[in-house]
Amino acid sequence: MASATEQRETDQVREIGHEEYDPVGTAILIGIYFLILVLLWLFMYFVEFLGNGPTVVGALLTVVGLA
Amino acid sequence: MEVTRMSSTASRTYLDQFPAEAKVIKAAFWSSFMALAIGGLLGLVQALHRTDVLRFIDSADYYTVLTAHGILLAITFTIFFLVGIFTWAVTTSLDRGVVDIRFTWAWYIMMVVGTILVGVSILGGVVDAIPMYADVLFTFYAPLQAHPAFYVGLVLFVVGSWLAGADWFRTWWAWRKENPDERIPLPTFMALTTTLFWYLCTLGVALSILVFLLPWSLGIVDSVNPLLTRTLFWYFGHAVVYFWLMPAYMMWYIMLPKLSGGKLFSDPLARVVFVLFLLLSTPVGIHHQYLDPGIAEGYKFIAMTNTMFLLLPSLLTAFTVVASMEHGARQRGGTGYLGWLKALPWRDPVFTGMALAGLMFAAAGFSGMINAGMNINYLVHNSWWVVGHFHLTVGTAVALTFMAAAYWFIPQVTGKELWSRQLALGQVLVWFVGMTFMSNAMHRAGLFGMPRRTAEPQYQGFNFDPAVGTVGEINAQVALGAVLLTVALAMFLLNMVLTSFNDDSDSLPANTYAGTLSGPEDSPAVLDNLKLWTAIAVVLVIVGYTLPLASIVESGGLFGPDIGGFQLAIETDPALVLESVREVMP
Ligand code: HEM
Ligand SMILES: [Cu+2]
Repeated sequence: MASATEQRETDQVREIGHEEYDPVGTAILIGIYFLILVLLWLFMYFVEFLGNGPTVVGALLTVVGLA
Repeated sequence: MEVTRMSSTASRTYLDQFPAEAKVIKAAFWSSFMALAIGGLLGLVQALHRTDVLRFIDSADYYTVLTAHGILLAITFTIFFLVGIFTWAVTTSLDRGVVDIRFTWAWYIMMVVGTILVGVSILGGVVDAIPMYADVLFTFYAPLQAHPAFYVGLVLFVVGSWLAGADWFRTWWAWRKENPDERIPLPTFMALTTTLFWYLCTLGVALSILVFLLPWSLGIVDSVNPLLTRTLFWYFGHAVVYFWLMPAYMMWYIMLPKLSGGKLFSDPLARVVFVLFLLLSTPVGIHHQYLDPGIAEGYKFIAMTNTMFLLLPSLLTAFTVVASMEHGARQRGGTGYLGWLKALPWRDPVFTGMALAGLMFAAAGFSGMINAGMNINYLVHNSWWVVGHFHLTVGTAVALTFMAAAYWFIPQVTGKELWSRQLALGQVLVWFVGMTFMSNAMHRAGLFGMPRRTAEPQYQGFNFDPAVGTVGEINAQVALGAVLLTVALAMFLLNMVLTSFNDDSDSLPANTYAGTLSGPEDSPAVLDNLKLWTAIAVVLVIVGYTLPLASIVESGGLFGPDIGGFQLAIETDPALVLESVREVMP
């Protein structure tokens, strides 16, 4: 029973059913989001090292030239 | 699920369909807006005070202001709006009114009385004529102690919300008698699962208040175990964030697809998400206590694992909601890999507000993952980073969604047209920009160790050392952001007030929500087995909390090792300050 669900769409130019709909755009956006997350994670480790000197992996610092 | 039958109610507003319920919902919304107005203004006071842009209150009063800001916004504003939305959702989707409207008014009034008690006792912190105090911050655990009226008010408010939940369940039971073979309509399903975990998590805080804090504040017991009250608070304190968030999620699932011109991508997926929140919202609270020395690392690790699982439903939501928006955009003629984004109705403030709120929530997902990691949490714990994080989550994902939703709901429950869509569109944009400034600066301040909950984070003989930028620049961003947010708040309230002076309109849209591409018939019936999921949720809580609670009680005693209360002193005794300075200085 879903009498209150939307029936018509005013600005609709075509009807896309479940079978024909393929959310590629969504997949791309989510992919971009994951990429940002990964980059931010990497960045976060730099912040940690930059601010506080060697913490967990001291050697890595010299490798990336931050020590 | 293509519903071909056109219901007779299809072109009517909520007010036409359920005039009695509409009144309660309208009252709940206004209670919520009042809390938002006062709380938001206090936020500006705090931001200007901390950054030393404008200090017109005594720094000792800062904590009274902070308590009021936290409680009014995080508890009062959010929960009043929630009870309004859920009442709408249950009645609309079941297509029947509540069982007894007097009961509905009763819980609403109970919540109002509770709020007034809480508000007046906090106000006592700055008004000498009120012999009360509650400078306990919105986390209100020991050793900070409030006047008994504060705890009584909280209890009334929470019990009121329990009765609201009972009201939704009663309405659903009545509907089920008439429709024994139907699946639970999605909006009702969302309201009920949320109510169930609310019952589960508020048990902790009820226990904390009724057994420990209230008797202690009344002088019946003279000591409590602070770690126990902290743990019981956080037992509730994480789930409450999902309690705020679930009505926003509901809006994203059932309104955004409709506003985008499409349908909800998957009803079964939405049900799975809400079931996961029922299961996992509570047994994660210890992730707020990573730095508490009295809890063993192992328990913290379990909480972290549960927390990481909890990312799943939010990522599922991101997918489902964006896919539904894309569906709408393509039906409206959008094309291309990302070109469809242009076909979305960006001029509609309800849509744009919710979409921007969702975008900020995605950003908050990152800072949340940092918070959730046991080791990296040490970097940001109790710093301004955390405040930046939750102004993205509750302060924007929830608050901005609610404000945007109000642009649709207030006309629905009053029968009056929104005063200005233009102003509304501007408002959601200004909020977004303001929060971008304030929250990003807060995050960065936290990274170089600036503490939260501090009236004057300016220290003699010590300077913060930001890796990028300067403290002055960060303060300027916070102050500017706070001013923009307050402007946005004023725009919102102005629009709401002027809307209620509008004439009745008969060109309002009908009270509808989104249809689905893949309906409930595509999902296993077991998803609707609320008893089963509640039972599993209870088991998870028992597994996650029995041992830590037992060990806290064992090492600290049920009523603690003789811990008296602190009432934040209005005048600070210099001798005490010296003593505490000596304690931290080596
Ligand atoms: C006008 C908009 C707002 C401004 C300018 C603002 C400003 C602030 C500031 C500066 C703080 C930090 C105080 C400190 O750490 O010393 C704070 C804390 C807080 N804010 Fe807001 N805020 C706003 C809106 C909101 C909203 C909409 C919510 C929730 C719905 C919210 C919830 C909180 C909470 C829970 C705290 C923490 C209180 C505590 O530490 O006990 N704020 N706010
Ligand atoms: Cu949490």
